[in-house]
Amino acid sequence: MSKTQKVIYYTLVTGIGFIWAFPFLWMMNASFSTQEVIFSLPPKLGDLFTSSNPFINYIKVLTEYNFFRYMLNTAFVTVSASVGQLLTCSLAGFAFARMKFRGKNVLFGLFLMTMSVPIQVVIIPEFLLMMHLGWLDTWLPLIVPSIFVGSLGTFLMRTFFENIPQEIEDSAVVDGAGPFRLYWNVFLPQAKTPLITLFILAFITNWNQLLRPILYINSRSLMTLPMALTQFQSQYEAEWHLLLTGSVITVVPLIILYIFLQRYVIRGMARVGIKG
Amino acid sequence: MRNGARNWYQSWHPYAFLALGVVGLFVFRLGPIGAAFFMSFTEWNIMGDIEWVGLANYKEMFASGDFWIVLRNTGVFTLIYVPGALFAGFLLSLVINVKVKAVSFFRALFFSPLVTSAVAIGMAWSWILSPKFGILNYFINAALGIEGPAWLGNPDTALMAVALVFIWKEAGFYMIIFLAGLQNIPNSLYEVASVDGASWWHKLRKITLPLLTPTTFFALIIAVFRLWQHFQLVYAMTKGGPGISSTTLPYSIYQNAFVFYNMGYASALAYVFVLIVGAITALNFYYKSRWVTYQ
Repeated sequence: MSKTQKVIYYTLVTGIGFIWAFPFLWMMNASFSTQEVIFSLPPKLGDLFTSSNPFINYIKVLTEYNFFRYMLNTAFVTVSASVGQLLTCSLAGFAFARMKFRGKNVLFGLFLMTMSVPIQVVIIPEFLLMMHLGWLDTWLPLIVPSIFVGSLGTFLMRTFFENIPQEIEDSAVVDGAGPFRLYWNVFLPQAKTPLITLFILAFITNWNQLLRPILYINSRSLMTLPMALTQFQSQYEAEWHLLLTGSVITVVPLIILYIFLQRYVIRGMARVGIKG
Repeated sequence: MRNGARNWYQSWHPYAFLALGVVGLFVFRLGPIGAAFFMSFTEWNIMGDIEWVGLANYKEMFASGDFWIVLRNTGVFTLIYVPGALFAGFLLSLVINVKVKAVSFFRALFFSPLVTSAVAIGMAWSWILSPKFGILNYFINAALGIEGPAWLGNPDTALMAVALVFIWKEAGFYMIIFLAGLQNIPNSLYEVASVDGASWWHKLRKITLPLLTPTTFFALIIAVFRLWQHFQLVYAMTKGGPGISSTTLPYSIYQNAFVFYNMGYASALAYVFVLIVGAITALNFYYKSRWVTYQ
């Protein structure tokens, strides 16, 4: 590129980038503002550098409005669901990749077929089931289905395990490894990349989950962050600075994770999308 | 595919490994899919017994004016989102497919809305779009001297506003898909064209676009499925309103089931919804050969 081309290019990409960055920046700005400031016209910048206590909204939302509690709830639900999914998917993926058994193709076909069924189709019978199990207003409906259902992950793990050379399996078996040791000690340690990918994708999905929390959770003390945001919105309509502070709190943990694991997230999502 | 699998596994081993996944498949997928079909012929309001009503739910649906409005809204949303997100993703992929520093930063930025909670994003956009104190209308007023619309509060603009925010959220996904497609086009084709003196525009039309048709087809199929994930955004931004002006099928299913407790009717809606997704996907495959060219 010539120098002029570079200038044009950077102007263009920065301009487009601004459209993508702005909602995040404007949300942060509101989180450092008082109610007075955010309702002023023309719009004003927040008080991050001028206020004596710029984090006052954060303290208020985290303590008085219990968002610290909701963050812990969300983290607990998300981590349990995601770790469980790793186990289910890697076990199933291992069987599909390395074992021969009757009905294998039919079963794998069923996994693939149900992969793209939208949640709205299964959610009503699922609700009925949870009601009969007496799981309403607990975290179980948020965790258990996510642990058990992982068609995408099974697919991802199968592909990876298929590509591990037969010799590695052979020599482990010669050394006397049974199938579970083979899976746990030989295959899993090699599968760091797909496991991290799967974990981060499951983490994102579960962290942001909204439908199940609003259906199953009633007690305030059990709410997750996205649900808490919607509740806050309908309850304190005019408190935009606090609502947006809550939004920042919801978004920041994932953004941090994303910054570190970006490679896995982008490739993983693209691959899952492409193959599925 | 691998055929080398040796049989040192005993016959029960696969079932032990698959137990969790198969339980999930039957209890949380196949079972509910079947049960929802059955429930679409029943009436149930959560409290009482489930009552068989035959085709009554479907009849009620087709006779209801609201249903057709919801269906039209869904159609409008689809026609804004699918072409819009594909086009935006394609443009972003062109912008990102350049070897300069900082490009990975912008790629990460364009992708970031996919990682973040739709609810939080919805809140941020609601604030930007808010009629009186929103910054968008402030700039519209400053630049054009006219009052901006109420966006989410106006039945004429609410659905469109949500669809545009959804495009903003999802464009990064299609960017990655198109980027992979662009990088698969052999460089030699462009070099030959350059030697012949072809312009950038000419190369785009004669090389890039035709060779991207398989990628575009794939992106289209995915878009039809990703489309339905806009539920969270509707819930956070408009709750289907004002009136039912931004109520689309996924939101209507939720509302009928869990706000009005018409479980049977909502199940019928869900099945209509599956039929539509299936029909669109089938049509896409049917018309594929008309415009998709492989190298």
